[in-house]
Amino acid sequence: MIKITDLEKFYRTDEVQTIAINKLSFEVKEGEFVSVMGPSGCGKSTLLNILGLLDDPDGGSYIFNGIEVAGFNERKRANLRKHNIGFVFQSFNLIDELSVFENVELPLIYTGVKPAERKERVHEVLEKMQIMHRRKHFPQQLSGGQQQRVAVARAVVNNPKLILADEPTGNLDSSNGNEVMDLLTELNAAGTTIIMVTHSEHDAKYSHRIIRMLDGQKVTENILAEYQH
Amino acid sequence: MFKNYIKIAWRNIWNSKIFSAINIISLAIGFSASFVIGLMVYYDFTFDDFHKNANNIYRIKTVFNSPEGTYGNAGVSIPLHQVVKEEIADVEQATTLYTGSFINVKNTENGIIFKEPEYTVFTDPEYFDVFQYNWLAGSPQTSLGGPNKVVLTQARAEKYFPNIPAENLIGKQLVYNDSILVEVSGIVANFTKRTDFIFEEFFSLETAKATDMSDQVFNDNWGSTSNSSQLFVRINKKTPYVLQKKLNDIAAAHESDYNKQMNIQRLFKLQPLKELHFDQELGIFSFTEYTSNKSAIWGLSIIAVFLLLLGCVNFINLNTAQATQRAKEIGIRKTLGSSKKQLVMQFMGETLVLTILSAIISILLSYWLLKVFSDFIPAGLSFSVFKEPLVLVCGVLLILFVTLLSGVYPSIVLTRFKPVRVLKNQVTTAPGKAGLRKFLTVFQFTIAQGFLIATLLVSKQTRFLMQSDMGFRTQAIGYVQAPWSYRGFDKNLVLYNKLKRIPAIDKISMGGMPPASNSTHSSGVNFMNGDREINTEIEFLYGDSAYLNIYEIPLLAGRLPLNDTIKELVINETALNALGFQDSEKALGQILKVEDDYRIVGVMKDFNQRSLRSGINPMALTGDTYRKDWPRFRDIHIMLPSAGSGQLQNTITQIEKAYNEVFPGENFEMHFVDESIKRFYQSESRLSTLLNWAMGLSILICSLGLLGLVLYTINRRTKEIGIRKVLGASLAQLNLLLCKDFLVLVLIAFVIAAPIAGWLLNEWLQDFAYRTELSWWVFALSAIGMLVFSTILISFRTIKTALKNPVNSLRTE
Repeated sequence: MIKITDLEKFYRTDEVQTIAINKLSFEVKEGEFVSVMGPSGCGKSTLLNILGLLDDPDGGSYIFNGIEVAGFNERKRANLRKHNIGFVFQSFNLIDELSVFENVELPLIYTGVKPAERKERVHEVLEKMQIMHRRKHFPQQLSGGQQQRVAVARAVVNNPKLILADEPTGNLDSSNGNEVMDLLTELNAAGTTIIMVTHSEHDAKYSHRIIRMLDGQKVTENILAEYQH
Repeated sequence: MFKNYIKIAWRNIWNSKIFSAINIISLAIGFSASFVIGLMVYYDFTFDDFHKNANNIYRIKTVFNSPEGTYGNAGVSIPLHQVVKEEIADVEQATTLYTGSFINVKNTENGIIFKEPEYTVFTDPEYFDVFQYNWLAGSPQTSLGGPNKVVLTQARAEKYFPNIPAENLIGKQLVYNDSILVEVSGIVANFTKRTDFIFEEFFSLETAKATDMSDQVFNDNWGSTSNSSQLFVRINKKTPYVLQKKLNDIAAAHESDYNKQMNIQRLFKLQPLKELHFDQELGIFSFTEYTSNKSAIWGLSIIAVFLLLLGCVNFINLNTAQATQRAKEIGIRKTLGSSKKQLVMQFMGETLVLTILSAIISILLSYWLLKVFSDFIPAGLSFSVFKEPLVLVCGVLLILFVTLLSGVYPSIVLTRFKPVRVLKNQVTTAPGKAGLRKFLTVFQFTIAQGFLIATLLVSKQTRFLMQSDMGFRTQAIGYVQAPWSYRGFDKNLVLYNKLKRIPAIDKISMGGMPPASNSTHSSGVNFMNGDREINTEIEFLYGDSAYLNIYEIPLLAGRLPLNDTIKELVINETALNALGFQDSEKALGQILKVEDDYRIVGVMKDFNQRSLRSGINPMALTGDTYRKDWPRFRDIHIMLPSAGSGQLQNTITQIEKAYNEVFPGENFEMHFVDESIKRFYQSESRLSTLLNWAMGLSILICSLGLLGLVLYTINRRTKEIGIRKVLGASLAQLNLLLCKDFLVLVLIAFVIAAPIAGWLLNEWLQDFAYRTELSWWVFALSAIGMLVFSTILISFRTIKTALKNPVNSLRTE
């Protein structure tokens, strides 16, 4: 599903050029659950941004679903992103001005789903995430765990092929964290490909494979479970 | 999607109440000014646009180019009517109008008398072809054929003949001036659209033969011009150049000897119908009370545009300043697949909601403003004009335009946020440059400062004009005029003698108008100074031997005329110079040729004959030399007891009693010379009032914008303020730190505004013969005033923040 080859990303200031991703190559198959680990500043989040089509690589190739996307402009990236990729962030990134229902509904609006169908699909996913009773609340009225469940609901409401999770349990206590990881595992079991950036060895164990990075490069790769097509 | 945008827009407006309020109030002020001024523009520019072929209708007016300058007359000499009608092929139709007046009109059936019927006109049947009316009875072809016929409007018919259907009115009789029997020959519906043709009674031209208009209507003198004799034409060409050329030839062919002698060139000029409403110089018809001032309308429009721009600037500034607070939302939306276009649409939607809210508030404000500005607003303009379709369409277009103007830039700034940076919390400032915000703030304050300087200077000039010495006494002098319906002299004398006997009246004089008035009579004079022939124009002032005394105008040489009817003149110093004399004594005894010979017997000191806008013209005091035919002594000037003496009211009551005895049934009115002079400066007073408002509103909008930016800056710098305080910064240092950035902008605005305002005001002052100085202190006061005001406004918030416990400031981070 994803194949990156010799991927590069630099950050430049006036005087210094920092290499965030350095000739990185790997592949992720459809339905896989992959964790990316490494110390702070190793390029995990940059990688996730490029994979999520939020950022452009400076070199190398990125093939998504058989299409080379490395040179896509913003409009093309946005189009591909909204139909195929869901995001879960450490800090939830819900829009404070929108209710739970409206936050989850948002990706459907941008993909042009009709209002009646939107309502049905949002209700369905909120039920699945057991947050239906909170649908009229605003993010600041929810606990961290609940907010992340809403964020997951928003990430999956469009049935994306890929979910990118950036430290999804980083702001949660262990019990809420486990709940979120269970949710992600369920989604993966249902066929969604997941790439998760994490510092937590515990969370990483939920995945099939762990890619460890240092200074923008892959240092090791551990296969934890046999991934079945 | 749209519903979603509106919902978000509303929540955002609600969540940031202060900023929303600033935006809404600023835009509402701009909108209100635009709506009210827009209504005025629409109202004034839609007069008489409904006539068929209105663009092809012209009035022919007369323009005189003389060595003293150019002046004009709304009318033309009578023979031109005939020539235009019969000899010029380009003229499709021509109509003659003579405005006339009657003392009374009587319904012969019930004997009811109506005094002084208004809006009466003598005209020909062609009038109803050029200006098409809806005929309720009679016909345009026959109704004005022949003598003693009148066509009434429906409104006038209902007044004279209540409850009688129009078709039954044909043949009814009315008696004008107790003697002229006229038959009703037609009834037309009044125009329902805006028009200056507000005639109510149309008499056939032949009817004029029985009235005192006869001489005017049937006059074959090419040299006489009266504004009551007007000529309208409808031409069959798109461009009137050929006709204008023919008119020039006609004027040249019939130039009078007098004009040739005086080196005056007379021209007949075509004036488009749509220009009539704006002709402040010549007016429209003698009874027309209101003509619009185009330059005032443009001036007002500029003020409206400025106020609206100021409102838009606040919107742009506050929204770009606040952009970082919305960065997260934008980042998330972009991550979830929103395109730039969708985001722009969302923010434009928010702007639209806010703009519509402002517009709704401004409609209510406009209702109030129409009342506040009633002095500036034509009487016929009411709030109901808002309902007219074109006004509604323009209103909607204005809302959309303001939405675009205010919303496009902030939308672009907001959508420039990169989601990657936002989600990493790396956004600290909006991607737009703060430079633009500074530029816009400077722009705002430049306008406010400009208005402030203008307000100070215009009020200085108005005060200067009102307090300047006119050169004659203006205090405690009143005058009463004989009623217009009385054209004789005897009753004036009776009144004069009665008033003379009132003990509290110290001085009294008979004459024409006061020394300074807008009602003047001037004539060309011819004088041989040695072998040099001098032709000049002299204004005549009519007064008896007490006239100069009551107005305290010094006599410099010679004496007063020997009696009230002798053809002797007391000339002023300007006339003395115009006639080529260096020495007053040498002028005495000289003969001036006016229509008859007049002897110069005295020289009086110069004084201002009109407002101080104009200079002093050659003038001569004379008596009532044509008393038998046309008495000039129609006013009695009275030195009144001072207001503090307690006798003033009692004296006026006695004057009124005497007046009513001499002119029973007429309205008594006492005019005061000082108030008449104040009226000369009505336009300056109005300009001053208007500038006060423009200044007040522009400063209010700028203050709101500044307040918004200060609030934003303080929120952004709370941590910095805390740290500086911990490190030992004093309150004054902190306040200076926060104020200085803004005050620099206010100062830059002054540097830009001062020369522009100075230049414009200097141009404005050139219109005045007497003008105040463009003093440095006006600029200094304006700059200091604005700086002090801004400092207070900014400090109000900064001091509050600086006084906070730094521990709390730091905790907010």
